[in-house]
Amino acid sequence: MMKNLRTLILLAVVVALLSALGGVAAQDEPTQFAGGWPYQVPPDGHFNTYASGRLNMGIYQDLMEPPLAVFIWADGAYDPMIAESFGFTDDGNYTVTLKSGVTWSDGTPVTGQDLLTTFNTGYMIGWQIWNDLESVELVDDMTAQFNLSSQSPLIERRILTENLRPTSTYGDFAAQAGELIAAGAASGDEDFEALLAELTEFRPETFVAAGPYQLLSENITDARATLVKNEGGLNSDVVRFDEIVLWNGETETVTPLVSNGELWYGTYGFPPATEAAFVDQGIDIVRGPLYTGPGLYVNHTVYPLNQVEVRQALAYAINREENGFVSLGESGVASECMCGLSDNLLPVWVEDDVIDELNFYDYDPDLAASMLEDLGFTRGDDGVWIDDQGTRMSFELIFPAEFADWAAAAENATAQLNEFGFEITATGVQFQQQQQDVYDSNFEMAIRNWGVGSPFPRDAYLQPYNRYNGQGEVAGEGVGGGMRFDTDVTFSGGEINVFDAAVESGQGTDLAAQQALVTDLVVSFNEVLPAIPLWERYGNNPLNRNFVDGPAGDDPIFLNGGVDHFMTYLILTGGIGPA
Amino acid sequence: MAVRDLNAGAVQPAEPTRSAPSFLDGVRRVARSYTARTLVQAVITIWAVITFTFFLIRLMPGNPVDVYIDFLMNQQNISFEEARQMAASQFRFDPDANVFSQYFDYMGRLVQGDLGESITSTGTRVVDQIIRFLPWTVFSVGLGLLISFVLGVLLGTVMAYNRNSVLDNALSLFSSILSAVPNYIWGLLILIVFGVQLQWFSVGALRGTYDPTLDPGFNLPFILSVLEHAFLPVLVYVVGTLGTWMLNMRNSTISTLGEDYVNVARARGLTSSRILVAYVGRNAALPMFTLLAIHIGFILGGSVIIEELFVYKGIGSFLFWSISQRDYTSMQGVFLVITIAVVVSNVLADLLYSRLDPRVRVTGDK
Repeated sequence: MMKNLRTLILLAVVVALLSALGGVAAQDEPTQFAGGWPYQVPPDGHFNTYASGRLNMGIYQDLMEPPLAVFIWADGAYDPMIAESFGFTDDGNYTVTLKSGVTWSDGTPVTGQDLLTTFNTGYMIGWQIWNDLESVELVDDMTAQFNLSSQSPLIERRILTENLRPTSTYGDFAAQAGELIAAGAASGDEDFEALLAELTEFRPETFVAAGPYQLLSENITDARATLVKNEGGLNSDVVRFDEIVLWNGETETVTPLVSNGELWYGTYGFPPATEAAFVDQGIDIVRGPLYTGPGLYVNHTVYPLNQVEVRQALAYAINREENGFVSLGESGVASECMCGLSDNLLPVWVEDDVIDELNFYDYDPDLAASMLEDLGFTRGDDGVWIDDQGTRMSFELIFPAEFADWAAAAENATAQLNEFGFEITATGVQFQQQQQDVYDSNFEMAIRNWGVGSPFPRDAYLQPYNRYNGQGEVAGEGVGGGMRFDTDVTFSGGEINVFDAAVESGQGTDLAAQQALVTDLVVSFNEVLPAIPLWERYGNNPLNRNFVDGPAGDDPIFLNGGVDHFMTYLILTGGIGPA
Repeated sequence: MAVRDLNAGAVQPAEPTRSAPSFLDGVRRVARSYTARTLVQAVITIWAVITFTFFLIRLMPGNPVDVYIDFLMNQQNISFEEARQMAASQFRFDPDANVFSQYFDYMGRLVQGDLGESITSTGTRVVDQIIRFLPWTVFSVGLGLLISFVLGVLLGTVMAYNRNSVLDNALSLFSSILSAVPNYIWGLLILIVFGVQLQWFSVGALRGTYDPTLDPGFNLPFILSVLEHAFLPVLVYVVGTLGTWMLNMRNSTISTLGEDYVNVARARGLTSSRILVAYVGRNAALPMFTLLAIHIGFILGGSVIIEELFVYKGIGSFLFWSISQRDYTSMQGVFLVITIAVVVSNVLADLLYSRLDPRVRVTGDK
């Protein structure tokens, strides 16, 4: 009896002590940011950021391997991160000077040598910057010069948005790569392939970070990874969170965590119904433009879809606002300019008077009908249009079955066009097969993306004119011609090869010349509609302001897209912190 | 009385000489053996499935390089050309290589026990991946199966003994509902209702396989943590299969209760408990053990969605990832393990049944 009593008392004391310790711990709890990203745990996931299968933290990688600079889309200018200064030299090269006083998490200082390490090692895995880069050389302890064969804002972007890597980890590879570069060795050469094999099999034991946070092996679990402070890292005295918790998983997996208040910010594409449930719970939704969205592509070998007037009639016959809303709620914003470029980017590159002259293709089914009648089309007894060659306007529209928003866009567009008098069958196809079908020209109508998350129109126009048009040795790899659109286009501004113009618009440093090319691209796209943009996708990122204090949703920083993600920028610069 | 030797004077046939059995005799004897035939069939089945899956997965849309190109384009917003260049540099896999030479290369390495390297994580051995993920699935699904089997057999017997009673009807309805709803629906319901709505547990804290702050090993905190993290998946496996066991056992028991030998046992005045255990229970449970053995084989394949749902990193979750990345070698490794598990469990079921029910063995030998 006494023994039992003693045990009980002992247990009570232990519980009391633990409670007290818990109380102390609660007072010292580190401030956390809870986000999410899908990653693969070891042994698949590893720390070699030059090899496939790396432990990939997506946008949050910048918090450990900071970029040289972040492009602020609203300003059209770069904000330096780990770079102190940068710019083109008079002789057409590019120099970057890193900030001094920053140390890697292994204690070694950040120096200009890390720039050589980063880019020379990148040569081994095919970084495209090396198409315009001849070598990287050290100017002084903190400065490196990039010796370029050509200059363009695109090249500058490729340099500045790259994540800095440590010499202490990759220095040996970089040194050998430097010798191969000097010797002109390339993929296929024996020495090159040997070093590449060595590099891809390399598994660093630790992740060496120069950002304000670092990732330690013991903080990676199946469920979440916790980034902890790297005291000597960039902006470690500026960031307002002690730790960054990243929950592992895709949209369906993290949804309960958002509802539960355990995940405070997510970049996932939540369905509108889920988004509405978040709003009901008081969770804010941040909507930044993604500069891309679904478009209706047609096969230009299929008559009469290869007729400009027919594509224009299609554009008039679809209510894009309805299409966007049923697909993605408030985050599906109808495309206005119908020019293959985001409405958010257009004013940066094109004069207002040109924009005013564009055809916005406002929903007008009557106009669409009269355009078809002018072409000699008639309606059959069942109301379906019959073209001037006597063929019913009957087509199949393929869409990626797994992409919920694109599937909704396809089904709504089909419903609208069928109501107008087309006979379209929407078919969901496995998403990889659907893409391949488009590459192979194995389609009549298809939903694919227009635009891309890049501030340069070149990249947006290479989607329709290159990726989905079987250009050269890129998209389709010669096995198909994509939508088979003739890139020699005649429009109100004259004649233009839109593929060449798109490529040229990203070359050189003459902004006025680039803007002129972009203007031609915008106007010609608007007139001939090689594809029909439906709507632009905006993010619907839940941000739980009960836990996070950040700028209001209309802050211009939320215009940042692509790799210049606003959330990592805000964390890095202290623009966001605990509520 | 003298006994006439009928064989007297007859030529005695020569005593057959007992020569050593020839190789062919041995082959014939093995061929006649039920066990040996079953094992040979198993090996052939495994080879056939490996071959079938090898070609089947390569018929799936896309390939590892295409998937990686898409990933690079979407995440880094780089052009198709740049993504393709990077993918080509980082992968040793050539999607245009002859598929038959790939097959013979794979089989050649497989017979040496080499499952190859992951395509999407160059340098990572597939066997290491399987060793990392397999034990968690075996533990969670195995535990769930064991619990649901024991519970199902007990409740099924109770239902049969009380057939047509209120209890039987209630349990029949309950088990029908359990077996009619797919396990991932149960998983979602548990998460949403108990985790999110009622907040009975932290959805995040129960994710993963154990608390990372603990030292893995044979110690109580770690074991408790493992059990805690496996609780939800195990619960779903139990809920998802319990109804089937209950209904099967009920039907089997009712059928056995009508057998003559049970009536005879009753007529002999044996106690109810003895009849239950020795006459009804043993015979009614016989098909259940066969079912159990077969279910064990599907342990590995049946966990994909549940592991994804609860972020429980077992072989199912890994298979899901491998399929999404089109990592052919990793997929083949997992399929090989699943195939072996299914075939071996079927063989065990056959052998077990042949031991428990001699009629099967006799028929098989014929």
